[in-house]
Amino acid sequence: MDKPELITRLKEIVGPENVLSSEMDLMLYSYDASLDKAKPDVVVLPDSTEEVSKIMTLAYKEKIPILGRGSGTNLTGGTVPLKGGIVVHFSRMNRILEIDYANRTATVQPGIITLDLQTKVLKNGFVYQPDPASQKVSTIGGNVAENSGGPHCLKYGVTSNHVLGLEVVLNDGTVINTGGKARDHAGYDIAALIVGSEGTIGLVTQAILKLERAPEAVKTMLAVFNAVEDGANTVSAIIAEGIIPATLEMMDNTVMRAVEETIKVGYPLDAACVLIIELDGMPEGMDENAEKIMEICRQNNVREVKMAKDEAERTVLWAGRKGAFGSVGQVRPSYLCCDGTVPRTKLPEVLSQVIELGKKYNLPIGNVFHAGDGNLHPLIMFDERDEDERQRVLKISTEILKACADAGGTISGEHGVGMEKLKETAFIFNEADLEFERQIKRAFDPDDIINPGKMIPAASKAD
Amino acid sequence: MVDYADKFKSLAETLGEKNVNTAPKITAQYAVDEVVPHAVVFPKNTDQVAEVVKFANQEGLAIVARGSGTKMAMGNPPQKLDMVVCTSRMNHMLDVDTSNLTMTVEAGVRFRDIQARLATQEDRCYLPLEDLEAEGDEVVCSDRSHSGCFIPIDPPYADRATIGGIIATNSTGPRRLLYNLPRDCIIGIRVVAPNGDILGSGGKTVKNVSGYDISKLMVGSMGTLGILCEMTIRMLPLPEKMETLLCSFASFADASAFTEAIFETRLLPAAVEIMNADAFGHLSMGDLPDFGSQGYVAAVALEAFEPAVGRMRTEIRDMAKQGGAGVDAVLEEHDHRSFWLAMSNLSATLDQKFSGLIKAKLNYPLSLGKNIIETGVSIFSQANLDYIVQTHAGNGICFTGLLIDQKDTDATDKAVEAMGQLLGRCREVDGNVVIQGAPAAVKGKLKMWGEIDSDFVMMKRLKDQIDPTGIMSPGRFVEGL
Repeated sequence: MDKPELITRLKEIVGPENVLSSEMDLMLYSYDASLDKAKPDVVVLPDSTEEVSKIMTLAYKEKIPILGRGSGTNLTGGTVPLKGGIVVHFSRMNRILEIDYANRTATVQPGIITLDLQTKVLKNGFVYQPDPASQKVSTIGGNVAENSGGPHCLKYGVTSNHVLGLEVVLNDGTVINTGGKARDHAGYDIAALIVGSEGTIGLVTQAILKLERAPEAVKTMLAVFNAVEDGANTVSAIIAEGIIPATLEMMDNTVMRAVEETIKVGYPLDAACVLIIELDGMPEGMDENAEKIMEICRQNNVREVKMAKDEAERTVLWAGRKGAFGSVGQVRPSYLCCDGTVPRTKLPEVLSQVIELGKKYNLPIGNVFHAGDGNLHPLIMFDERDEDERQRVLKISTEILKACADAGGTISGEHGVGMEKLKETAFIFNEADLEFERQIKRAFDPDDIINPGKMIPAASKAD
Repeated sequence: MVDYADKFKSLAETLGEKNVNTAPKITAQYAVDEVVPHAVVFPKNTDQVAEVVKFANQEGLAIVARGSGTKMAMGNPPQKLDMVVCTSRMNHMLDVDTSNLTMTVEAGVRFRDIQARLATQEDRCYLPLEDLEAEGDEVVCSDRSHSGCFIPIDPPYADRATIGGIIATNSTGPRRLLYNLPRDCIIGIRVVAPNGDILGSGGKTVKNVSGYDISKLMVGSMGTLGILCEMTIRMLPLPEKMETLLCSFASFADASAFTEAIFETRLLPAAVEIMNADAFGHLSMGDLPDFGSQGYVAAVALEAFEPAVGRMRTEIRDMAKQGGAGVDAVLEEHDHRSFWLAMSNLSATLDQKFSGLIKAKLNYPLSLGKNIIETGVSIFSQANLDYIVQTHAGNGICFTGLLIDQKDTDATDKAVEAMGQLLGRCREVDGNVVIQGAPAAVKGKLKMWGEIDSDFVMMKRLKDQIDPTGIMSPGRFVEGL
């Protein structure tokens, strides 16, 4: 099928105003928050599961690559249409279909902005826990595809721990429902397979999410350290003491400086790093735990610990953390965010390797990350227009991921493999592991049209 | 007649003579729903499991994996069974990393040994070690890490089940209310795929999105996608204080109103259970308060920091009184642990007492719990059946057992019909009824896995791709997956 005919057929399905195909439009859909770029042939904005099913059926019959997209905040090229074809943008399917407080569930379309849902349920005293830093713009569909994390995942788990059910359009246009409001469905855990599948299995058109009562009390602390190692050791010591905070986030000097230039949170600019430590739950016992944490900080040479006095102060402490990625744009025009994860006891060791790599390749690296989870996010800052810098960035990234894998960790904690880390999958998987993943992919997409070229490296042609 | 000793000879050379048993009097003990395997094999590690599976592929043999055998009554009878693969020799704890709060164990390690390993210096443990050691059948793991941690899983058969069996069957219990499910705490696995390949997924990091989540896919897959060999599990620090509040109610409606009141608050109990007096009466624990033979008992587990437990005890007791509770009692520390072990063993206790027992797990949206249970109880009463019900009030899950003697064919027929009616009711609300155990002869009349949903097409595609020749536990899982 040639391109004009494809466009005609898609216009029949969703209406002419919901098919985008100008050069400018295609350019706008050619990138996400990673460094990769590729243009689609056409962008389509469906308004219902039925329309998505029709689009998928068309793609299936004509063997056209097809890819779902939310806000495009993906950091590994997951939403870049590598092989062209159709981009299905879910911006119109952004409704909250039902909030069922009695059953503690929210049923939503994939295009809903994560924070919009969270703001709405919080008014009734409920929370949807996963809180990626991009929650102001990211969509639930994207969170589901990438199995997004966030600071509070330390205590509450990642997206897959909060998805109860999904409606999915399969490769041939079949619409299926998996899971639901009742727990423990018999059979394979299909929802767990789809969450984090980076959009390679099908298009998610609806999600049933778990809601929980908002914690009764929250206590947020900012601990300031003169050495990164002290901060990292504090993280391990808190967990080893038997306290699981809601968050244990670290930010180093480079990032704090960038944040202060844009947001002005009042971070101490002469410190090496800060930890944002938050406790939540029932207030009973919380003061004792906060005191224990402060004692651990003191044992690890903390310079000072500040406690947020009220919600306003808490919001300010968090504003810096949530805005950190955006702020580093002040330092250099581009950044690459690595997402390596290590057992948390390995943090000090791997962090110092990261710092060494920055020196070796002569590029600034800022660290802002989920320390409690051992989930590093070194932000390597550079100028994308400088090809030499770009090559150095890719080298650092690979070496950081190798260091994480060697420390018993993994190449992605929450951003996915996408296009960016295909090569690095070799650090953690052998050929049998990858072949098993290919088998799963083949079960659902034998023609390789659904987000092709992502997450699983192609089998080597040698054998 | 086939000489099975000869047929399995090459495998015996790999695993050692005594680890491949074809003697009929032994294989008979490993029958699955009265289907006797031709051989029982005991690999010592993951590599040997891979050898076993490769052998099965060459010879076209059907395999069923087995741990302690506590859940062998689940599922349909196997369509074909050549070899039972026992994990009992795979009983090593490979890595206990308490500062990182993860541990990696082999599939055949018993759940109780894991918990014992993590006990404190003073032997404070998630399970009542004193009770377990008193049994004396086999020594509980005495190698202690003195970490004061536990793995947050609360399965039935806690004193016997292996971790592999618990994970393969997604076995859960009352305290999932606070700690969630096995799928939420398994962060890495090694599994032998149906083609004999050894696969790894996940690891020691609590977050991992590198590739498909094979670990979660394997949880609850009943050994039909591969044999679970090693798993990495998150652990938690032991709660500072543990206690249980028990109280009795005249009716399910009263008990249910009480538990709903708890869920209107922001308190965080570890479990909130309602059971009928018969269920409570069958708990194998001495020194329990006498709640009489009528009505319902609510049990609330509190596991938290001491001040939080204190407040929950006070407030929840008040709610119980206002809700018309009769007798109430508080079980502390050791008694708390003994009580929840007795709850975990309720299923085992009933297995022993009732030869024709039919057990089922109901699921439904949690707001409909009262309606579903009352419907169920009325169906059972009308059929004149003896029954127990035990609900996880905050999760929309109910266990029920129909207490039947195998010789009583009339009661069995009524029970089969009652389960059918209950399934119909649960399906109306997008729930289901999964039979957890029934005599082999009755299984053909029951829908062992309830009814399927539209995602079955995906399960089927997956199974056909991963186990194309169907050697893994054929016929036992949902619609023969």
